Amino acid sequence: MIAVLGLVLGIVIGVLTRPVVPTGLEVYLPIAVVAALDAVFGGLRARLDGKFDDKVFVVSFLSNVVVAALIVFLGDQLGVGAQLSVGVVVVFGIRIFSNVTAIRRHVFRA
Amino acid sequence: MTAMPAQSSRPPDATSRPDASMWLLNQVMDHSLDEGYEEAAARRAAAGGNPPRTLRDRVWLAVGLLLAAFVVTAGAAQARAGAPEVAREREELLERVRAGTEGADRLQAEVDGLRDAVAEGRRAALTEEGGERAELVGLLAGAIAVTGPGLELVVDDAEGAGTGSGAGPREGSGFSDTGRVRDRDLQRVVNGLWAAGAEAVAINDRRLTSLSAIRTAGDAVLVDNRPLVPPYTVQAIGDGEALREAFEAGPAGATLRDLRDHFGIRVTTGVRDELRLPAATGATTRYAVPVDPDAAPGDTGTRETDHDTEEDYTP
Repeated sequence: MIAVLGLVLGIVIGVLTRPVVPTGLEVYLPIAVVAALDAVFGGLRARLDGKFDDKVFVVSFLSNVVVAALIVFLGDQLGVGAQLSVGVVVVFGIRIFSNVTAIRRHVFRA
Repeated sequence: MTAMPAQSSRPPDATSRPDASMWLLNQVMDHSLDEGYEEAAARRAAAGGNPPRTLRDRVWLAVGLLLAAFVVTAGAAQARAGAPEVAREREELLERVRAGTEGADRLQAEVDGLRDAVAEGRRAALTEEGGERAELVGLLAGAIAVTGPGLELVVDDAEGAGTGSGAGPREGSGFSDTGRVRDRDLQRVVNGLWAAGAEAVAINDRRLTSLSAIRTAGDAVLVDNRPLVPPYTVQAIGDGEALREAFEAGPAGATLRDLRDHFGIRVTTGVRDELRLPAATGATTRYAVPVDPDAAPGDTGTRETDHDTEEDYTP
């Protein structure tokens, strides 16, 4: 119940406040979104696997976002930001895909 | 990882998998679930069964979901807000390009109009001031349009030239493919026409004067720094038939025949009863001034200009 409340609250805050992302951080937002989605799908899969742990979920979410942003930041400083962004998106994309596949197997038994 | 199965002659041992080169992808796909969950589950199992979820756990989850939802929503909002911005900037750029092009076109039209006016004025002044003699001078200088019988040559690139196919003996500096009419071909043709007694020559309606240059820039032939588009129509005013005979008997005629026979350059020659050649545009001199008949030849004026230039280059 509290979890659903948190989810709804997060969406509402996002919609209502229309957060103005600072110009310097704009490039990290898509990466953060992909990292967040990865954490969410990972958590969902763990839930269905019966291994879910709240703390692991939050920590993995935060570390995903921070590490992804750090990698891209480092890449920007080194002049390979675009390439590293692609790398991060590819890794998270594959993870999201296989997690969704596992979720699908759980839900549809197929 | 030290063994390289693809290169070793030994049979692959048990540790090397056929998809060893896909190690990274497999790693990512097999470990898509955070290891933390496994460890937490193992810890719980070691502690003996699932403990009931505390309020703290629920708050953790709520905070995590809140953050995730917030980030995703913010990303979506940002993307939505950014899309019209990008489109607007693009539109603005396009608008600026359009405005710039229009401005350039307007200026070009103005330049053309002024050039025509200048040419008109020069022609009027020549006829007014000097009468017969000035007209002759203007005619010879290409400053006024002329008409008369003459010879028309149409020189065109060989069939299929410009597609870049086929290298031949004519490759070299300038044009890379053969079968294209070059500046020096046109130079020979024009020289041949002058030699054959032409009194006025124009290429593609660009009148040649004593200051005209036929040259190449990139893949285009330029006359007076204006690019020409093939086919090149060379018109020469003179005694039509005699002009043609003299031209074809001369070296330029032989060159043209060679070009036609060996490189497929298309040439058509025709005697015309009446040709109209336009006046040359922008024929001005910046340095040459008429010599004062009273002054001695070799005036000091030239030396003064030399001196000026030298001073310009003194560091």
